[in-house]
Amino acid sequence: MNRLTQNLLLVLLGGAVLRITTVSTEYLNYVKPGFRYLLIAAGAVVLVLGLAGLFKKEDGHRGPGVAWLLTLPVFAIFLIAPPPLGSYAARSEDVPARPVSTALTAYPPLTQPVTPMTMEEFLGRAWGDPTKSLAGKQVRLTGFVVPSAKKGRWYVARMQIACCAADAVALKVAVLGAPAPVENQWIEVTGTWVPPKAGGPEPGTTAPELETTGVTEIPQPVEPYE
Amino acid sequence: MFIAVLGLLLLGQFVYAPYLTSPALQTWSTVFVAICVQALPFLVFGVLLSAAITAFIPASFWTRALPARGALAVPVAGVAGAVLPGCECASVPVAAGLISRGVTPAAALAFLLSSPAINPVVVVATVVAFPGQPMMAVARFTASLVVAVLVGWVWLRFGKGEWLRARRVHDHAGFGEAMRHDLLHAGGFLVVGAMAAATMNVIVPREWLDALAGNLWVSVLALALLAVILSICSEADAFVAASLTAFSPTARLAFLVVGPMVDLKLIALQAGTFGRRFAVRFVPLTFSLAVLVSVVTGTVLL
Repeated sequence: MNRLTQNLLLVLLGGAVLRITTVSTEYLNYVKPGFRYLLIAAGAVVLVLGLAGLFKKEDGHRGPGVAWLLTLPVFAIFLIAPPPLGSYAARSEDVPARPVSTALTAYPPLTQPVTPMTMEEFLGRAWGDPTKSLAGKQVRLTGFVVPSAKKGRWYVARMQIACCAADAVALKVAVLGAPAPVENQWIEVTGTWVPPKAGGPEPGTTAPELETTGVTEIPQPVEPYE
Repeated sequence: MFIAVLGLLLLGQFVYAPYLTSPALQTWSTVFVAICVQALPFLVFGVLLSAAITAFIPASFWTRALPARGALAVPVAGVAGAVLPGCECASVPVAAGLISRGVTPAAALAFLLSSPAINPVVVVATVVAFPGQPMMAVARFTASLVVAVLVGWVWLRFGKGEWLRARRVHDHAGFGEAMRHDLLHAGGFLVVGAMAAATMNVIVPREWLDALAGNLWVSVLALALLAVILSICSEADAFVAASLTAFSPTARLAFLVVGPMVDLKLIALQAGTFGRRFAVRFVPLTFSLAVLVSVVTGTVLL
């Protein structure tokens, strides 16, 4: 790889990183929001390194051939603009994942007529709350539609990431009492938790159920992961 | 050549983009880009630090800071890993920088293994991910440090200098030149690892693993291999380990100890930085010691 190509590649790579963090919010499809300034700094360093090389006259070394591979993420960002993980990634794990931080052990009682709630909190209350604070309370969940292999069953799901999309786990709640919207459609579901019947499967081994009173289609949230 | 790449980029915007929509391919590309994007800041940080070590810190500093005897320098370097808060992508170029400044390779390798596993960020993440189980963080710290020091000692005793490829960029190369070379080189290998990890991430269903959770050794090996395959950043792997509830604490400890030391993107980075002859010896040695030490530590502490 010659000198000019090396530097142009660095400019493209830095530019791609800056594009998804400053011009758009695409970086949220891949990493946690906290990465933004790290990425901007890294993108700027790479860009400056490339630009400096372009304007400086040095007889540089020939670059390593493996560097050509760096064009791949650049291509992926500009061409595919990979979307956030959706129902394909959520379905590949049929066993429900446990939310990342089950540290929330103290659940305050729900007082609002309809409580907006993260999937994590809903699963935590459904599986781990001895006071059964969810029982009989209206809640609103936000997620995308995942069809089930079982007929007539579908889930509202949200991916939870700790760092980047490679460590995503799918949080799923089965929705009862409404026909399934289109796969991958983002929705808000209002409803009440259906407590598991006595003698049913252990909490945490199957997705909890929600009897819904209303499903609203919404655009994809800026921050697709929890 | 570069014009061709640019042309493809522009053409692709209009011609290919509509066809790149299969859900499996999209999931693959999301995971692939996510690994690259997430690792880039750490790689840039590591390359900067490595270039700074080469350019600004005189070789005499290291001879004073580290004990002269290799057998002592290894544990000192291993413990020193606790102060570099970065994930594994940063530690490879830093270790290469240390070796090029005359640090005993065995000590630099102990640092390479310990720093992504025992730095404060990772320890805190582990404590948060396992609420009410502080022993998990303790066990992780202990087991990782022990593995790093053991690998360093084994390398000191049996390692040969010719297995390590010397860096092609020499001391006379300037700061920017060294950075540019390291970044392009390590970046390329990072892409290799990210492609492999994304592929395994998409094609290996987690249910296969759950079927293996019963037996101690099988489950430990299964999670150790999963750590290699998934190539998750060491700052995030505790959260994934916590979600693998079907497995015993010892198996999950193996996941946490192996992950920062051996994974697909690291193997690619190490082979690229130190050469293939290095990687074929270092990777199996590290992997087997990490599994053994995890089982022992897990049995004693968890």
